[in-house]
Amino acid sequence: MSVRRQVYEWRNILPVGQTVSLNKPPILKPNNVHTVALPANQPVDIFIGGIGNNIDIPAKLTATQFVVIDAIAVWPESLAAQIYVETSRYFQDPDGTPTEGITGRIVPFPNGHNGIINWDYITGLNPPLYILPHQTWGIEVTPLEAIPEYTGNDVTDENISFCFVKYLLIDGADALVAKKLIDIGWELTPENIQRYKEDIVRFHLRAGLSEMDELEGLERRV
Amino acid sequence: MAIRRQMYEWDLYGADGFVPADFPDAGVEYSIFTGGFGTLVNEVNLVKEDEFIVLDKIACSPGVSPQESVVAGGVLTKWVPNMQIQVVIDTTGYYRDPQNIYSSGVSGMASAYPSTLEEIPYYELSPSIYILPHQTWDIRYTFYNDLKTAFAEGYFTSIADTTALGRVWVSYTLFDGTDAFIAQKLLSIGIPVSVDSVQWFRKLLIKSRGLDTESFDFYLKAAKAYRENEDQKAILTGLKPYSPKE
Repeated sequence: MSVRRQVYEWRNILPVGQTVSLNKPPILKPNNVHTVALPANQPVDIFIGGIGNNIDIPAKLTATQFVVIDAIAVWPESLAAQIYVETSRYFQDPDGTPTEGITGRIVPFPNGHNGIINWDYITGLNPPLYILPHQTWGIEVTPLEAIPEYTGNDVTDENISFCFVKYLLIDGADALVAKKLIDIGWELTPENIQRYKEDIVRFHLRAGLSEMDELEGLERRV
Repeated sequence: MAIRRQMYEWDLYGADGFVPADFPDAGVEYSIFTGGFGTLVNEVNLVKEDEFIVLDKIACSPGVSPQESVVAGGVLTKWVPNMQIQVVIDTTGYYRDPQNIYSSGVSGMASAYPSTLEEIPYYELSPSIYILPHQTWDIRYTFYNDLKTAFAEGYFTSIADTTALGRVWVSYTLFDGTDAFIAQKLLSIGIPVSVDSVQWFRKLLIKSRGLDTESFDFYLKAAKAYRENEDQKAILTGLKPYSPKE
């Protein structure tokens, strides 16, 4: 299992009185939930931002891992998501200034939420974004207008803020293949990793057919 | 019937009344096959020596907020499970969180079953998961909305037997008999296992009747022929530009 399609889903719904749940989604029960308010224009890191379900440490790749981020989605419509790798931001204005990112109007989560369908990014980011070994990455969500706290019966799926990211985790021997693909300028996709491995196998088979004078009379088997 | 498209649907319904021991705890992972709740199978899924499985679709009930549940006269008629599902092969979990720790997997919001125009799945299990002979496999669900505490605190008194509390759907291709051996052979020479590739290799074996099919020569020709087929398919589907030199 060295090329795996992974997901992470952030939400701002929690039991009443809590603002963060570490390492797993919070356990919820009826009549005891609220959503955490998100002030306008203040970015929140979905991994370590202290709001919603978080993880303990930033997402940093080991020496034998590659990540290919190929889809991102958010909700509500006024929430924007920006991907960062180290200190660089993915989405930027034409003048080069990083923006708040892509909004739920373009990439709603789930797709079709409130009748809005993701048509433009249906196949995700193209080309996808590569994260290399030892790099730190994450996603910040920024409300373009203030999102209030919802309580009681107002805590519906419509009013919960979401951020979803889908990525390919390449590790182990496949990470070595991924490195080679980047070195030779191939796009890093599962298909190309597979294709490169096929090539390696074929070249070894071809090597098996090379001249071997002293063994020429023997039948060669795999 | 050596290549079969299979599916398994797990569901858990109410039982007119509520006995807490009959329902799963929130935040705890259970198997959809042998977890003790809902529809079950008799034994752990061990892939037999002459089988090969390609798992390519998993989905579960969507919904997050427990406030979307419906109670009428003390009877729970709709429940939002807020569930996630994980694939486990032998002792290894497929999904990890970004800090490389075992996670509870993909949610019904990302991969909804049933899917609707309001919940079109974002998630596909691509590349597919190969489950090899002698491996065991499992799909495990976790409910994050707490049914038992809701009952204990008087949110409802019983659950209608028509109320679905959670659903999981799994779709996979089962290769068995000689097709499973072909699948393993394809894997050993670096060709992806799919219905197409297994059928193609079977044809190649039939064409090669009487010849030695265990030699370097045969495998090299097979690998090259597979690559040419794939390139041709890519050209026909517009994924690769046509080049007169090829």
